[in-house]
Amino acid sequence: MAKTFKTWTTLGVALIGTAQLSHGAPSAKLPAFTNPAFILSDGEGGEGGSDAITSYKLGNTQSSAYDYDAKGQVAAYAKLVHTSYADAKEAADRMASAIDDLLKAPQPETLAAARAAWIAARPAYLKTEVFRFYDGPIEAIEGEINAWPMNEAYIDYVADKPDAGLISTGRDALTGSVLTGLNQKSDEADVTTGWHAIEFLLWGQDLSAEGPGNRPYTDYTPGTGNNDRRRAYLKAVTEKLVGDLQSLEQAWAPSVAGNYRDTFEKLEQREALGRMVNGMAILAGFEFMSERLAVALDSGDQEDEHSCFSDTTKQDFVYDLEGIRRVWTEAKLLDLVASRDPDLAKDVDRLLANAESKIAALGDPWDQVLRADASSPERKAAEEAVASLQGLADGLKKVGSNLGLLVLIPSG
Amino acid sequence: MRLLPACSLAMGLTLASLAAFASNTGTVREMLMSVTVTSRLGGDTTRPLTTQNAFSFQAPNSARQHQRDFSFGNRLFNTNWVEAPGSVKAFDGLGPLFNRVSCAGCHTKDGRGRPPESGLGPMDSMLLRLSVPGTDSHGEPKPVPGYGDQLSERGIRDVPPEGVVRIEYSDVHGRYGDGEAFVLRKPQVRIESPAYGPLPADLMMSARVAPHMIGLGLLEAVPDATLHALADPEDSDGDGISGTLNRVWDTAAQRMANGRFGWKAGQPDLFNQNAGAAFGDIGLTSQQHAVDNCNAVQTACKAAFVPPEPDIDYRFMSKLTLYTQTLAVPAQRNASDPQVTRGAGIFRDVGCASCHLPSLQTGEAKLRELAQQTFHPYTDLLLHDMGENLADNRPEFLASGREWRTPPLWGLGLVPLVNGHGFLLHDGRARGFAEAILWHGGEAEPAKEGFRLLSRPDREALISFLQSL
Repeated sequence: MAKTFKTWTTLGVALIGTAQLSHGAPSAKLPAFTNPAFILSDGEGGEGGSDAITSYKLGNTQSSAYDYDAKGQVAAYAKLVHTSYADAKEAADRMASAIDDLLKAPQPETLAAARAAWIAARPAYLKTEVFRFYDGPIEAIEGEINAWPMNEAYIDYVADKPDAGLISTGRDALTGSVLTGLNQKSDEADVTTGWHAIEFLLWGQDLSAEGPGNRPYTDYTPGTGNNDRRRAYLKAVTEKLVGDLQSLEQAWAPSVAGNYRDTFEKLEQREALGRMVNGMAILAGFEFMSERLAVALDSGDQEDEHSCFSDTTKQDFVYDLEGIRRVWTEAKLLDLVASRDPDLAKDVDRLLANAESKIAALGDPWDQVLRADASSPERKAAEEAVASLQGLADGLKKVGSNLGLLVLIPSG
Repeated sequence: MRLLPACSLAMGLTLASLAAFASNTGTVREMLMSVTVTSRLGGDTTRPLTTQNAFSFQAPNSARQHQRDFSFGNRLFNTNWVEAPGSVKAFDGLGPLFNRVSCAGCHTKDGRGRPPESGLGPMDSMLLRLSVPGTDSHGEPKPVPGYGDQLSERGIRDVPPEGVVRIEYSDVHGRYGDGEAFVLRKPQVRIESPAYGPLPADLMMSARVAPHMIGLGLLEAVPDATLHALADPEDSDGDGISGTLNRVWDTAAQRMANGRFGWKAGQPDLFNQNAGAAFGDIGLTSQQHAVDNCNAVQTACKAAFVPPEPDIDYRFMSKLTLYTQTLAVPAQRNASDPQVTRGAGIFRDVGCASCHLPSLQTGEAKLRELAQQTFHPYTDLLLHDMGENLADNRPEFLASGREWRTPPLWGLGLVPLVNGHGFLLHDGRARGFAEAILWHGGEAEPAKEGFRLLSRPDREALISFLQSL
């Protein structure tokens, strides 16, 4: 089985690798380029010629080009990340207790309450998605927390396949560690854990054009069919999610020697800022704009949406963007950029506000938008939202240039 | 004959200047050899990528609409296709027989495949081509009755897989010139549990790992004239290196064309390559492959096939193709490290660069971002005799059983980081660069011997250079 490892170089840059642990295979040690240098004449470049520089710092011939003090930003960001994960963990705790109530007494009311608790817990997590896309602690376990899209038939029965999934066919006890071991084991969509696995277990497949999935509460009545395995599954993945969020909160907790926050706060300031801005730009310009909006619009498939079982995808969009806003204002990036280029700061602020209004104007539920005709007002609004995120990502690239940061967005 | 001073013109080379000398093999080769090699291995499509996702970014010079299509192509590449009918209709149509349920299943993180850890299939990022002696109507390998041209190790419900591969290795011992011993492992491939009748005695098999996906659009945009000029099938220049341009069947255009892609250059372009792989490896029908991928005896397969619409239509296939055309090439790392620059010199001195040609140039291209680029793939895209030890003895169009297309070397140094392994060569037998070089034979025998006889520090410098690519 693949094992993910992480190594810290002297400069604090993590290279995350997946090593096949096997006999006779080449050793899984890291390759010899932990301090990459790029000699690029223009555009995205490291500092030309020197082998000592890594990732996030842009080169400049003027040594004073990036003389600014960002200690306040780095400190505010670290605090923001910590409180955000703490909030997400608490919200998941409340969901876990509602799920406990469902398992104690499976009834329409307890199922409805568990679903409501899932929906209520999501925003706090979504606001942390802006802390992804660099070497933060989330990267190692994001696939266990929020993996999507998922092949739900890998977990439980689906339409036309009453015997599908680990719940129906598996023989292993359904514990957190067993399910974690199976997560995305042979295929990325074979998701076993995380928010969307829980979502599927609470709602079931969304087979209705109008509303969300409608799994019967009797799926959790003890002692019949595969229900006991389903109950064990739901319990295990819920506990795992809470535990994972707690581990993230711990990784960012203040004054813990050797945790990620400790390392982060000791980074050279541009290395830290680079992580902050890349998280924002990649979320806005790739994960959110491309992967969740444009791709779904282009496939035109009604169920090609992030939270398809519960039909709460629009909520995902809104709070993802709020996460970006919080880094911009609460981590005081706005102030830093304003001190160096007031017009750029105003521009980015305006682009962010524009994206917020376009996202607010999106149709809800999102699967109705996907179902709509390509020339419909819903689709038009969605395309405007895509464009607004593109604009925001472009603005964040300019922030990167201004602060001397390498900003790499996967698509273009 | 050297018509031009080497370096002064290097950066100014254009297609026009290439075409002007296209009639002269030596000249085009010399001109390309004289191009200054930089760390921007993919020209303007280069990005400074050193993470586990180093192969998954788009070229930074991509047009806006291409960025959007790339994102959708990426989605298709990563889609886990499901058996039809599925709840997400746009993405169903798996099988009935298949190797993997997604492109990314084999090309994990747009990277490189490997042989199975235990030696026993079903393989996760590799496949086995099959044929019997002779050729089919367009000169392609003759399919095996009951099995076709590729072993499907997986099937949807109720459709038995065709069989399962077992790869066993035996040690081959040798010594470097300085007396240091090395051990290579020679694979022996066989098929267990053949499900559709006995396998013929004259069965030919070729095991192949999935190659990494970077920079393919650039290779596609190299003008045919360049490849013709580089080719030297009869070794008329007497340098011991032949170099044959494959001629293959273009399924989309229904005509013969130059072969560029695949381990034996059996596909003319990425559209054909993708349509062929979608059909052969995942079982997805398309305009180019409108029938099931079952053989006559495979009744369960036939019965399970859902015919009407193509699983992946022209629009989707075009976006998938754009994706495969515009993946960025990671920049060379540590290019200025003295060990690396020394290794680059040894690479040329030993003769590696004769086939692993450092530089190529594109001409006009449908995608503007790929046009007029000078780039450094370390391939000539031609077929070369690699000797008996590497032979699969399974011809493919003009490629003999001993010939292989020179594989590009760019990005190979990142494979351990991206894919967690360092297996090289077509069947992943080599456990790292040194073994891969030591397997070379045929036309590459002198270069291989040159490497074998190097001092240990020189060998290490050469490998440092390869790791920097």
